[in-house]
Amino acid sequence: MESLLVGIGITAIAGSLAAVAGAAEDTESDIGSQGDPNSQVQLAPQMGYINRIYNKAISGEPPAYALWCAMGAGIAWALMAININAILAIVIGSALAVFVQGIYCTTAYLGRVSSLAKFEQPVYIDIIKSVTTVTMAHAFVAIFTCVAMCHLMIVALGHPFPLPLLGIVWGLALGAAGSATGNPYYGKERQYQKYKFGAGLPISASGDIVRYAEAGQRSSLDNGWFTSKLAGPASGICFGLIVFLELWRTVLFESIAGGWGAVIAGVVLILIFMVIDRYVESWARNTYGPYTSTEEASS
Amino acid sequence: MSALGGGGGGEGMDPVGLGIGLVVALLSVVIVYILAPTTAVFALIGVIIGGALIGFGIHFVPVGGAPAAMGQSPGIATGVAMLATGAGLAGLFGGAWAAELGFGVALAGGAIGGGLMMAITCLMVNVVYVYGMGIPAASGKVDKDPITGDTFPAYKSQGTEGHGLPFISYVGGVIGGMFGGLGGTLIYLELLEVYKETLPQILSAGAEDVIPIAVGLAGIFAVGMFLVNAVLSAYNITGTIEGPHDPKFRRFPRAVIACAIASAVCGMVAIMLVAM
Repeated sequence: MESLLVGIGITAIAGSLAAVAGAAEDTESDIGSQGDPNSQVQLAPQMGYINRIYNKAISGEPPAYALWCAMGAGIAWALMAININAILAIVIGSALAVFVQGIYCTTAYLGRVSSLAKFEQPVYIDIIKSVTTVTMAHAFVAIFTCVAMCHLMIVALGHPFPLPLLGIVWGLALGAAGSATGNPYYGKERQYQKYKFGAGLPISASGDIVRYAEAGQRSSLDNGWFTSKLAGPASGICFGLIVFLELWRTVLFESIAGGWGAVIAGVVLILIFMVIDRYVESWARNTYGPYTSTEEASS
Repeated sequence: MSALGGGGGGEGMDPVGLGIGLVVALLSVVIVYILAPTTAVFALIGVIIGGALIGFGIHFVPVGGAPAAMGQSPGIATGVAMLATGAGLAGLFGGAWAAELGFGVALAGGAIGGGLMMAITCLMVNVVYVYGMGIPAASGKVDKDPITGDTFPAYKSQGTEGHGLPFISYVGGVIGGMFGGLGGTLIYLELLEVYKETLPQILSAGAEDVIPIAVGLAGIFAVGMFLVNAVLSAYNITGTIEGPHDPKFRRFPRAVIACAIASAVCGMVAIMLVAM
């Protein structure tokens, strides 16, 4: 009973760490313009829209976070092997991984933006100085929480994978969950804020991103302020739920029916999420209604 | 086959290339049969099946890529290989954890882990589209959802190819995650057995002592092979796919064969690492 309670407690802590990691990951990717919406930042100068938005998109978010989390976890693992305190080891590992992330950010910004020179897009040195450190800070939170969560899974819950391998696995899942959930909100809602709410962006408008703020030109830091209100928390809930429920069903139900209890619990959870999704989809159709009548759309 | 994937899965397969691929796969099996213990051959066949399952499953996952991030096309706003790998590795995590409970439980645990990851992710995608952006789901490839019967043309905003995740895409995502988790876990379990059997002899150590190395090696190869198969399938899909109702879905036989061949070669390398 006691071990079960400890297991549930660790599950809750790991889920909370995952929620923070998801929120920080998405906010980092929105400030640094890491994900798919960066296609528009890259496209904008080619369409004549010179901008001051950070432009890195080092790679897709999942492999990028797989690299950084695995690096943080690997360094922490090596330090723990020489008997350095686990918390200190994870902090040092995450900090070193963040320096690598910062180097990638800088070279990606310089490389990407200088390739737009023929479209008269300048390289802004003040952007490198002001935005890079902010993305690094958010990345540190995401990497530290993800690696700490992986460490808990091994020492408290007994997962057989070594820490660096879990860093790859959960870093990749973190990037996948964050980019899937957060990208549309940054891509459509923020970059194209001047276009109609409640509709997708017409393909012909691609590249016409919002470039001006209340005072002066829009900075990527403003994008983080905007997306941290919905996309960041939504990504956090997404990744937090994935980690929490994956651990919860195992810790609580694995002892039932020789392990099949956890499988059945997983099936039930999937069915519940399916019902919720169908409700959300139907709610949207009934509440917002069609854009045009069916006759108009088909004609 | 056309770029839009109109034809069946067998179309577009170059017979010479297919023949060479099958010969390479067969050679891999023969090399393992000659140089490794007999059980390793069965493990290699498991690895090949695992790779084929991953390749098949990835075609179910609804991926909209960059256009989906602006609500210009349906699907999840990220890359095919990356999203499927995220789900598959989440499944591998669960499968590896359940490995000591038996083969069947571990495989089912891996499949459910992948499916659960996709179920939550797809739900949150729709939550952001609906409650954050006020956009209902609409497919660009079919006029009617094959499961719910919902019609889409009137719910597609002007100048776009659709947006969000219709229910058929949601179900496809869950099925894709399950196949990914199942395939990844199968590869892991097969390699783990080979390593557990061979490592004590190579390292002159006890069976218990080699388990951490065996788990680490099998896990690294499972992750690597997952990425190989995911990228191969992504090339077969070429860009975006909405799910099982998308015409591109019919291309899957080509990816299944390619993934099986690639897995045979990768599996041979993973086994020969300890067999020679």
